[in-house]
Amino acid sequence: MSILDRIARLAVVLLAWAGLVFLTLPLVIIVATSFTETEFLKFPPVGFTWRWYGAFLDDPSYLSSIWTSVSIAGLATMMAVVIGILVALVISRSEMRGRRLLNTVFIAPLILPTIVIGAALLQYASALGFARSFFALVVGHTVIVVPYVLRTVLASLERFDRSLEEASYDLGSNAVSTFFFITLPIIKPGLVAGALFAFIISWINVELSIFNSTAQLMPIPVKLFNYVQYAVDPMLAAVSAATIYVAVIAVIVLDIFVGIDRVAASQK
Amino acid sequence: MRIRNFWAAILIALPLAFMLAFFLVPFLVTVVASFHDGEGEWTLANYAKIVADSYYPGIFYTTFKLSLIATIVSFLIGYPIAYYIVNMVKTRAVRRLCYVLVIMPLFTSNIVRSFGWLILLGRQGLVNQTLVALGIIERPIPILFTEAAIIIGLAYILVPFMVLTISSILQTIDRSLVEASLDLGSSRLSTFFHVTLPLSLPGVIGGSLIVFTLAVSAYVVPAIMSGGRVVVMAMPIFDNYATLFDFNFGAALAVGLLVVTLILIALYLLFIERSSRRRIARQA
Repeated sequence: MSILDRIARLAVVLLAWAGLVFLTLPLVIIVATSFTETEFLKFPPVGFTWRWYGAFLDDPSYLSSIWTSVSIAGLATMMAVVIGILVALVISRSEMRGRRLLNTVFIAPLILPTIVIGAALLQYASALGFARSFFALVVGHTVIVVPYVLRTVLASLERFDRSLEEASYDLGSNAVSTFFFITLPIIKPGLVAGALFAFIISWINVELSIFNSTAQLMPIPVKLFNYVQYAVDPMLAAVSAATIYVAVIAVIVLDIFVGIDRVAASQK
Repeated sequence: MRIRNFWAAILIALPLAFMLAFFLVPFLVTVVASFHDGEGEWTLANYAKIVADSYYPGIFYTTFKLSLIATIVSFLIGYPIAYYIVNMVKTRAVRRLCYVLVIMPLFTSNIVRSFGWLILLGRQGLVNQTLVALGIIERPIPILFTEAAIIIGLAYILVPFMVLTISSILQTIDRSLVEASLDLGSSRLSTFFHVTLPLSLPGVIGGSLIVFTLAVSAYVVPAIMSGGRVVVMAMPIFDNYATLFDFNFGAALAVGLLVVTLILIALYLLFIERSSRRRIARQA
């Protein structure tokens, strides 16, 4: 390797790690400032206190927002899992015409602007009388998280050895028991990864929720968004840090169950 | 396993009904509303209003400019990360650590990520402190609430998408081509510029179009980073729905954004198709 090559290699390593630090820095800053003893945001933090976490846990409106978010994300994920599996099965295991179109329709929410999906849902829900309701939030979130489940389940279905399903048939199983005893266990890693992505995408969504929220019905990211626009204080950092801890746990779970490098390869 | 058409139709019925009811029909309703006035009469006035004065075209221009710069910045930051992860990391543990660092920001909301930059970019924030300490600037400069802040915030959101798309393309590049180039006496640097970079270009352009689409429709990041001082396309859409309650004009703006996005996606698909056809032609 020439000297020039060595310099170039070193430069790439430095640039890559600088980039990775760039990606991590804002999150580290939030976690650090959430422990400051000062009344205002300060980095580096002064002292160490759990006070701001106490303040937000004492505020029932934050707890209710978190609960709202968890229930929306939980319900939307469950519905997306059912829809995702059904659609993936039909796309990969049937000869029905229009399968490509089907795929496009269910993947579309991934690439269309979420803010437009949110606006359209509000408009439609107002006409039918369910605007700004828990129901509207759940169906809206389901629409935008279905693609995450569909993609990973479809990838798992296409990849695995179909002779296993045929063997099950030959041994006298019917389609339903073949699905539950053969197909489902094999696609489980893909399903878990997709469901986790779906849950997180719903949990962090602002652009869709913002149209259908009210003061009483406010997912936690929307509450943070409203708060950050008029006041920025250490309690906000504590609430934000709490959502970062959720992200850390999700990434660890993903790495243990599926392997984060494999997940990264399937999400593009 | 083969699912017969009859059973396939039964399995797909409910998901399709759901998608129709809560995704496709709402879009249709919005498109129809954009051609109506407040009294329910058909009209083109909403669209005429968008192009009438320079206000909305100006917003389009700002949005495109900021999105383009943010896309380029996220490419410049993302490519080395992707290249490093795919071609230089030797152990799986390090690779996993890198992916954890790339995916973690994806799992936190745009609010939280922008909030981090709010702390970093303030007058007394770490960035200003560092620049002053290094002697690059004499006294803290205003970064927050400017277009630069929006670009930083957007690029930050977009880098993980860029890394994931580029790394998935880099993985598919045939190693023997790189080795052949090295065996024939090329340096690693010229091998990169003559083999790896051109072969990864489809991923770069594909990734860029995806992140550009995301940037054009971003609402939260520009709102927080500019403190409302810079207006981008998504903002009047939200304002018309949430505060002005002019659903018809809001619908026209939403349809405008949608059309822009669809054009970008069409370009993306066209590009993918052409580049894959060229690859097939080359192989044949």
